[in-house]
Amino acid sequence: MAAAAAPAAAHQQLDPLALADFEAGLDGLHENDLIDEAEVDSIVRESILHTIGDTPWADSKVGTWTSHIIEGALKKLAALQKPMKYICHVSLTQRAGAGLHAASCSRWNQKTDGLLSVHWESQTVLALVTVFWVAL
Amino acid sequence: MEVAHRYVKQRRQFGRHPHFTDQGAELLLDLRPNEEHAKAWIVKPQTTVAVQAAPDMSEHEANTTAVVLVNSGMAHLEGGWPKEVDHTEAEQVVRWRRKVEKDEDYIKQVVRLGAVVEELVKQNNAIDIYETYFEDLPPQQLCEPPSTCTLTILRDPAAIKRGAQALSWHPDGSGRLAVAYSVLEFQRQPPGMPATSYVWNVANPSAPEASLAAPVPLVTLGFNLKDHNLIGAGQYNGQVTFFDLCKGAAPVDASPVQHSHHAPLHDFAWTQSKAGSELMSTSTDGSVAWWDLRKLGEPLERLTLRERGGEAVLGGMCLEYSPPVGPTKFMVGTDQGTILAGNRKAKQPADRITASYTGHHSAVYSLSRNPFFPKYFLSVGDWTARVWNEDLRTPVSTTPYAPSHLTCGGWSPSRPGVFYTTSHAGVLDVWDYYFKQRAPVLSVRVADRPLTALAVASGGVGQAQRLAGVGCADGGVTLLQLSRGLVEMQDNEKVVIGSMLDRETSREKNLEKNAKEARAKARKEAARTAEPLDHVTDEDLAELERQFFEMTAGSDTE
Repeated sequence: MAAAAAPAAAHQQLDPLALADFEAGLDGLHENDLIDEAEVDSIVRESILHTIGDTPWADSKVGTWTSHIIEGALKKLAALQKPMKYICHVSLTQRAGAGLHAASCSRWNQKTDGLLSVHWESQTVLALVTVFWVAL
Repeated sequence: MEVAHRYVKQRRQFGRHPHFTDQGAELLLDLRPNEEHAKAWIVKPQTTVAVQAAPDMSEHEANTTAVVLVNSGMAHLEGGWPKEVDHTEAEQVVRWRRKVEKDEDYIKQVVRLGAVVEELVKQNNAIDIYETYFEDLPPQQLCEPPSTCTLTILRDPAAIKRGAQALSWHPDGSGRLAVAYSVLEFQRQPPGMPATSYVWNVANPSAPEASLAAPVPLVTLGFNLKDHNLIGAGQYNGQVTFFDLCKGAAPVDASPVQHSHHAPLHDFAWTQSKAGSELMSTSTDGSVAWWDLRKLGEPLERLTLRERGGEAVLGGMCLEYSPPVGPTKFMVGTDQGTILAGNRKAKQPADRITASYTGHHSAVYSLSRNPFFPKYFLSVGDWTARVWNEDLRTPVSTTPYAPSHLTCGGWSPSRPGVFYTTSHAGVLDVWDYYFKQRAPVLSVRVADRPLTALAVASGGVGQAQRLAGVGCADGGVTLLQLSRGLVEMQDNEKVVIGSMLDRETSREKNLEKNAKEARAKARKEAARTAEPLDHVTDEDLAELERQFFEMTAGSDTE
């Protein structure tokens, strides 16, 4: 866990400036520890594609699809080795003309925490995957 | 799912005040529904919901294997003798008897048993247990709809399917039925097809009672009317043969091939004779032959089937012979649709065919005289059954065209107004002229295959009552029990049917007379129009000429 140990080393000299910085918002995290949204986006899309791909909608498969998408995304996110907690939320519906409305509201540290939502559609399947990450 | 994520964090960084701020609501996705689809949405006006409180049941059908019944008996002729007594030796038997009769126990037993038997005998004499009460009451008028009930199906035991071509009930009504099995399609007999036909007993439908092992498949057969053990039969190759049920399965005798018919022997009939051994047969080779079973070497007589004054030979399909009309008269239904009536003892050989009746469009498969009005007969061919009067050349009555070919038919032996027809579609139609004339009173789908033969049993006792056998192209013979209404004569029926037939006859006669008059009138009309329009004769012409010359001569001289 070399990357995770680095910020701890940076804070060992009790630099007042660094402390101010700490106070300012990053909660003791390093710049490198922050999440890159593009990276998460590609991870999630890959996971959806890998799970659903061209398969047409089938009610019976929804359970396995959901767990596979979440599992795939979380494994890759964990492999990033960032000091973060992740929350992954998946909505799957059949594309049959029905509408879908989704919104979220949060109270967190704006600088370190974030969310990314991926909207993916195939011929018959509509998927909305939202990933939240929260600093430890 | 197992995702491991390890991190390190120093103790002093724990528990610090967080910098949380409200983010406000963030829209992740706003997908509008498809308005086009929404317009197509229809409210279902009503729904049906069924609620039942009864326990759920399910129906199961299983085809159980046929129960095979075997009759067995034991004849006990002699026995019970002690070892040392040989019952064939009269002397020993007498000695043993005398010894026993002296025994005290024997005397006591006989006295005791004698009293018991005497009582039983007296009881049976006193009460007539078979007495039928209310014998003098008139038969009840039945108003139930006619029906049939399938009793059983006699299946051809042969592995190769052959059609049941002819059926014959045992004349004494004991419920025995002889069935001829063969395939009539020309050169379509499967190789290795067995030639045996069988005699069945209604009491044991699982196995035939006797077999008729002919060398060639039988096309027709019938019980002899005098000796009920004799079965006469016609073979596919045209030979006449006969069997004796007492003598086993093999045929007793057969006519020699060179003197037999040259085509399948389609029908034969027992003719009236002293010994009851004479029969007449017909075949599609276009001839009728008379035979005597005692000398089958050569036919007694032979007749080629031609219409009166006609040249073409007609192939015989079915034969009608009933003694009430005359022991020498007969009728033949031909392959060409013509029905020929004949008299065996005509003076001139050319006069032996006395009449022909035309009208059927294809072969006539059945001919049957009405058992109560022998002058009237029924013919079955093409899609219709027709009722004819001997004296008329046109049918007295014709059924409407049936949807499929008719294959067989006949009058009911016990009711004057009822007849049956079978069809290629497997349907048995029952017609009751006493009730209605335009449609059958009952249609029963007997099988999915063409029906080939029909025999209604006359009389019969016990289980063999009111039976009809229907032969099918796959070799099954369905035994139907007819309802009482179809068998028992109705009130006044004979009179009504008789007057109906007479009425139709006079109608046909009048129509024929009208047609004849119309023809004569037309002929006269034609003759008149052929004459010249001016009626001036040669003499008149000469007179006119003379007058003219006189007049002109006068003007010239002036």
